[in-house]
Amino acid sequence: MEAFLGNLALGFGVALTLKNIFLCFVGCMVGTLIGVLPGVGPIATIAMLLPITFGFDPTGALIMLAGIYYGAQYGGSTTAILVNIPGEATSVVTTLDGHQMAKQGRAGVALGMAAMGSFFAGTVATLLIAALGQPLTKLAQLFGPAEYFALMIMGLVFAVVLARGSILKAICMILLGLLLATVGTDLETGQERMTLGIQDLSDGVDFAVLAMGIFGFAEIVRNLENPETRDVVRAAIGRLWPNKDDFRQSYFPILRGTIIGSILGILPGNGAVLGPFASYTIEKKIAKDSRRFGRGAIEGVAGPESANNAGAQTAFIPLLTLGIPPNAVMALMVGAMTIHGIIPGPQVMTKNPELFWGMVASMWVGNLMLVIINLPLIGLWVKLLQVPYRMMFPAIMIFCCIGIYSINNSTSDVLFTAFFGLVGYTLLKFGFEPAPMLLGFVLGKLMEEKLRQALILSRGSFSTFIERPVSAGLLLVAVVMLAIALLPSIRKGRDEVFTE
Amino acid sequence: MSDQVSPSEDQPTGLIKSTQELGAGLFLIAVALFFYWQGLDLPRGTLRALGPGMLPLALVTMLGVGGLMMVIYSMLEAGPRLERWSLRGPFFVFGGIILFALLIRTCGLVIAGPVSMIFGMLASNEFRLKEATIFSIAMTVLCILLFKTLLRLPIPVIGTLLEPFFPF
Repeated sequence: MEAFLGNLALGFGVALTLKNIFLCFVGCMVGTLIGVLPGVGPIATIAMLLPITFGFDPTGALIMLAGIYYGAQYGGSTTAILVNIPGEATSVVTTLDGHQMAKQGRAGVALGMAAMGSFFAGTVATLLIAALGQPLTKLAQLFGPAEYFALMIMGLVFAVVLARGSILKAICMILLGLLLATVGTDLETGQERMTLGIQDLSDGVDFAVLAMGIFGFAEIVRNLENPETRDVVRAAIGRLWPNKDDFRQSYFPILRGTIIGSILGILPGNGAVLGPFASYTIEKKIAKDSRRFGRGAIEGVAGPESANNAGAQTAFIPLLTLGIPPNAVMALMVGAMTIHGIIPGPQVMTKNPELFWGMVASMWVGNLMLVIINLPLIGLWVKLLQVPYRMMFPAIMIFCCIGIYSINNSTSDVLFTAFFGLVGYTLLKFGFEPAPMLLGFVLGKLMEEKLRQALILSRGSFSTFIERPVSAGLLLVAVVMLAIALLPSIRKGRDEVFTE
Repeated sequence: MSDQVSPSEDQPTGLIKSTQELGAGLFLIAVALFFYWQGLDLPRGTLRALGPGMLPLALVTMLGVGGLMMVIYSMLEAGPRLERWSLRGPFFVFGGIILFALLIRTCGLVIAGPVSMIFGMLASNEFRLKEATIFSIAMTVLCILLFKTLLRLPIPVIGTLLEPFFPF
């Protein structure tokens, strides 16, 4: 307990310097500004804004980046409520009741409650990270290559199970991601693989390039194709501060959402994405009058938004303790950390305690900042959302181009991004969901490395993965999850959850 | 989402019951074959010491099998049709990005910005030249102020070709 408080004190000491508060503020601000744009989710936002953090010291840069991340998340919810366009998968649920509330002139209350729910969830999640950080790091030190490999397999299986649509397609997307990760110089032999003789590919495909192509550019083309039906709320925004009744109805949904979101967020394989869905389903099930849902029930905003934010934050746990990014956003964080010379994993906490705890503390500061900045600025976001798409997309385009160019000062990166945009567009046309591919790509290199190490240690015997108890347990969970997901009755239920 | 089908408009006719699934399968098979060909020369090593070619080969095989399964499913299960592909959007958007990449070093942001944005804006069927010109120039000025002046990113504002004309 003492160590826990000591660490938090150290963290707040770092996070509450004037400079770091300012960086956190700027991060939240621009993150929201970009995240509010329809069709621009957190992944594209972070990839776009990554270069602006380059000029600062590692701690400052990561604090700013965390701010951008929360800003982007919250911006997505704002768009979901005001325009009925989810910025990303996790705010889909918010559109259901949030937009209905907005139509009834209660947009302000919906946004206010979303912000307060998120703040509460963020506070709990921050404490959870601080509490779980140390024990999990100890656990990580017991992990050998076989366990790491098994854990990543489990993460990928989760991603398959949680993806929408066909399971076969999701598996193929993971395989494609893993395959793309093999492009570049082989780490052990130094041999170039699949580079087509292109010099710029010898370092492999940059994650930001892939993510921006698939989640930035492909999305633009996609949006241009479907004639715009953006219905920006015309009704008044109304008061922001929820009244007594709103609060009474929201306490428990926020609490439940926070718990669900926190737990799911820790799971490898983007468990966070399930949080809002699970929270919404539960709130609807236990509500006295479930018909209110879909017609502007405040519980349908408060619960899922809390789950969303809790999960977004606890997703840092696998990254900071095990060095395994559980989703695409965290993979971008890995990229950003590596640029500053920090390799995410259990050693961060021991080697750079100021950075680690400073970042944890700044998460809480960032959440508080969002409540303070966003509520007065809602009018501005509404104005921004009224800009027609024909003017919005070239702006997104140029920001993306400048962002990608600035990461490595490389024009070929920009060209590759265009190529991956085309790939992403093709995948969408064939009904593939690209998110699992990104996760496969993220984990690919590490998985191959651990697989090779494990096989060297076991002298080429695959039984090592089953003989070691932890690895066997993780693989068993993976197999069971996959088997359950393939059962016809569960599949039906799963489809219902996602189409609701 | 896109894979939601209303059964009425997608009555299976003939052998192929889902053209989207068929296309997806064939696409994966093509990708698998391409990477297989690319990885042919890589040493595979042994299980005890995996070579650089082993994992790609395993992945390519699984991907190919997955694609094949999709082709088979496309004949068994009714599913969505392949959507119409538009050419205008991808051509102008990706073309605009490529123009940016080609122009940024030589002509700098002052030229690359407006050119790529105006070209990209042609992707929308509500294109208006005057609006596009004013908007793209204003955006470029904003970008220069934001990224160069404020954030000091090393983005070339005036490229190598134009530098002789701006000797400051």
